[in-house]
Amino acid sequence: MTSSSAPSRKALSKIACNRLQKEMVEWQVNPPAGFKHKVTDNLQRWVIEVSGAPGTLYANEIYQLQVDFPEHYPMEAPQVIFLPPAPLHPHIYSNGHICLDILYDSWSPAMTVSSVCISILSMLSSSTVKQRPADNDRYVKNCRNGRSPKETRWWFHDDKV
Amino acid sequence: MATEEEEVAAEVEALQAVYGDDCLVLDSYPPHLHLHIMPRTADVTSEQFVEAVIAIRASSQYPKEPPQIELIDSKGLDDERKKLLMTCIRDKAVELSSCLMLVALCEEAVDKLSQMNHPDGDCPLCLYPLVQEDEQKKILRFMKLMSCFHCFHCECIIRWWDWLQTEQKSNPIDSLSSTVHSVRTNEKKKDGGAEDSIGNCPVCRKVFHTKDFEHVLDLVGSLPFQLSSAENEMEDSEKLRHSHQENIRRQRFEATFKLQQENCGLIEPKKEVRVLPGMFLPLPVTPPTSAETEESHEQQQEGDPPVASEMHTGASSQMPNTTEHRNRGMRKQRAQHNSRRPGKRWVRRENGSA
Repeated sequence: MTSSSAPSRKALSKIACNRLQKEMVEWQVNPPAGFKHKVTDNLQRWVIEVSGAPGTLYANEIYQLQVDFPEHYPMEAPQVIFLPPAPLHPHIYSNGHICLDILYDSWSPAMTVSSVCISILSMLSSSTVKQRPADNDRYVKNCRNGRSPKETRWWFHDDKV
Repeated sequence: MATEEEEVAAEVEALQAVYGDDCLVLDSYPPHLHLHIMPRTADVTSEQFVEAVIAIRASSQYPKEPPQIELIDSKGLDDERKKLLMTCIRDKAVELSSCLMLVALCEEAVDKLSQMNHPDGDCPLCLYPLVQEDEQKKILRFMKLMSCFHCFHCECIIRWWDWLQTEQKSNPIDSLSSTVHSVRTNEKKKDGGAEDSIGNCPVCRKVFHTKDFEHVLDLVGSLPFQLSSAENEMEDSEKLRHSHQENIRRQRFEATFKLQQENCGLIEPKKEVRVLPGMFLPLPVTPPTSAETEESHEQQQEGDPPVASEMHTGASSQMPNTTEHRNRGMRKQRAQHNSRRPGKRWVRRENGSA
C-alpha cells in the first residue's frame, strides 16, 4: 500500500479517542445503510465497505473506504480514500482520492464518520456517468510520493454530482 | 354585539401592553396575531435555550369558538417538544372556551416554554449528552450560540474556537490546508469592518460573532480548565485550588481587597511586604493601576482565586492562575480590538479617498 499509509501517524489525542469510541458505539447500534465497518482493533484507521445503492450506476458493486483519523480529530478532518479499485466516478481519482469539499475545506467538527459516509454514497448515487476526472493522470502522477489528499488544494467547481 | 367587539379589542390592547414588540397584531378584529415567546429567564439570554413564534387566529365567533393556534417558527425545540407545546396551548384554549382567553393563552405558552427551557440531545462536538455528569459527579457546562441556538459543551466549543485561532495563525491564507473558517475570518479581519465575526456554527454554518461567545468567555474563567488543555492539567488546577498554599493566597487577597474597599478602591501594596531583603521580586512590579483594581474586584466577585496576590509570593505563584490570565488576556485583547477600531476605519477611509 503506497499512498494509503502515508498520513502522519501521530497517536490520537484523548479527546479524539473518546469521540471515536463514541462514534464506534453509535455505528454499531445504528450503522448507515449500505455500509459495513470491518472490525479491527485499530481505532485510528477504519476500513468501511460501501455497497452501491440499488438503482444507481454502482448497484451491486462493493468498494472499500479507508478512513484515517488525525491526532486532533474532530477538529481536523479525517483522511478518507477509496482502497483500490476505486469506483469510476468524475470526482474520484484512480488512486482513490475523493474530491469532496466536506473532506477538506468544508469539514466541520460536527460531522461524523457516518455522515461523511452518507455524503460519499450520495455523491456516488447522483453520478450519471462512470468516468475518471478529466485531470486524473496529471493528478495521480503528482501524488506519486504517497501524498495525502488533504495536502491537495482542491477546486470544488461542480455541485451537480 | 358591539360590546363584545370592544371587549376583544381591549384584550388585544392588553396583550400589546404586556408583550410589546413581541406581539405583532395582524388584525385587531377578529384578532390575528403573532407572538414571539421566550422562556422566563429574567432576560438572561445565555440561559435561554428555546424560543418560538406562535400565531393565534380567532374567528368572528371568538370567544365562543377557540382560536386557531399554530407554531410558526422555533429555535432549540425538537419535534417532541414542539408538539407538546402546541397541544398544551390548544388544550388550554378548549378549557377556557367561551371566555376571553388571549392573555391566558399567551401566559400558558410562556409557562410551558419555560418548562421546556433546556437543551436537548448530545453535544455535536464530543457526541456525549449535553446534560450529563462527569466522573466527579459534576455537571459539565454547556452553552449555546446566540444566533442559532445550537448547543455545545463550553469546553468543546471553546476548544474548537481555540483551534480555529491557532489554525489561523499558523496557516496563512495561501497554506494548502487553510480551512473555510480561517479563510473567512481572515478576510473579515482584513476589511476591518467586521472583525467581530469569528466563525461558523459547526452544525448549521451560520456565521457567529463575538457576541455569541461573550457569555462563555466569562464562564471560561470559572471553569477548571485551560484552553486547549489536557485533562490532567485540569485535575492539577483543581487540586491547586484546594491546596493549603492557595488558601493562604486567597486570604491574602481578601485582606488586600478589604484594604482596597477601605481606601475607596485605591490600593498601594504595603511597602514592608514588598521590600524584604533577599526576596525575589519579579522585575517591574507595577503598582496596581485602576484597570487592574477593577479586574481584581471583578474576580473577587466571581469567587475566583486571586491574581493580585502574586506580588506577595513572588516567583512561586504562576500556575494556579493560568485560567485567569488567559481570560484576562482575552478581555484585554478584545478591549484592544475595540480601541483599535476607529483607527482602522480611519485608515480605510484614507485609502478609499486616495
